[in-house]
Amino acid sequence: MTPDVAPWYVAGPLLGLVIVAMRALLNKPFGALGGYIDLATCRSASQALSLRGFVLLGIVLGGAVYTLALGSFTQTLEYPAGGATVALGPVARIGLLLAAGIAIGLGARLAGGCTSGHGMCGVSIGSRASLVACMTFFATAVAFAHGISLAGGGP
Amino acid sequence: MNAKLAGLLCGAAAGFIMTWAALTDPRVIREMLLLQSTHVFFLMGSAIFVAAIGVRVLRRAGLRSLVTREPIGWTGEPPATRHVVGSMIFGAGWSIAGTCPGPAAAMIGQGQLMGLVIAAGILAGVVLAGAHRTPRAAASGEAVGAAGL
Repeated sequence: MTPDVAPWYVAGPLLGLVIVAMRALLNKPFGALGGYIDLATCRSASQALSLRGFVLLGIVLGGAVYTLALGSFTQTLEYPAGGATVALGPVARIGLLLAAGIAIGLGARLAGGCTSGHGMCGVSIGSRASLVACMTFFATAVAFAHGISLAGGGP
Repeated sequence: MNAKLAGLLCGAAAGFIMTWAALTDPRVIREMLLLQSTHVFFLMGSAIFVAAIGVRVLRRAGLRSLVTREPIGWTGEPPATRHVVGSMIFGAGWSIAGTCPGPAAAMIGQGQLMGLVIAAGILAGVVLAGAHRTPRAAASGEAVGAAGL
């Protein structure tokens, strides 16, 4: 984070415009999860990725473009998140993050969307399922973060 | 323009913005979930506000999408148990990892190795969630979920 972090009132509306652009160009919802489903269910290399796979690849690309243009590729195995703030060895940390990733993928597919698909895009089009999903994952994650913090997993 | 290229560009814009706004930094997500910072809440709220108005303007105007030539529109979804149960499991993982599917992908672009670990987990979780479904159920589930995806 060497350059200035974009303030919410710049980054938020811009992300909103990406959702609008997806509608204007493709009439498709914006979401990251579908790309993972695409990658996971792609049976062979010759079977081309669908649109949502390309959206996900685009997100990777966007992170790289930002880092090339304005950031730096600093490498660290430190990972200051949730339970990983406790002193864990690299192997334990990788195991924990892998498990967290599995919960993210499993839960989001069951729910039919993630923070972008349900949380931003789904809520913006007024899908009641997305509103319920968004309130549920926010409530759960806030409660979990406080629980981890109380259990000594961080400051 | 090709639809996949348009998707790639939209994704790239989103990835750039997420990285610029430090959503790829697990500390930022952690501060938000501990209710110590309003950055992510206001960011998501303003994104929803702009998107909600923008997509309704497009629909009201009766436009067709520029690349796919479809009439712009969508259908919402009624809430079901899977939305609650899935989102609880997702929320727990989100809290532990300090990241979610979008920012984790942008993290990989940033060259953060841990992003790859989380993405590998997400792929495994997605496969697990799909494993118990019949292909037909999976197809219909995705069709329904498409509104929220």
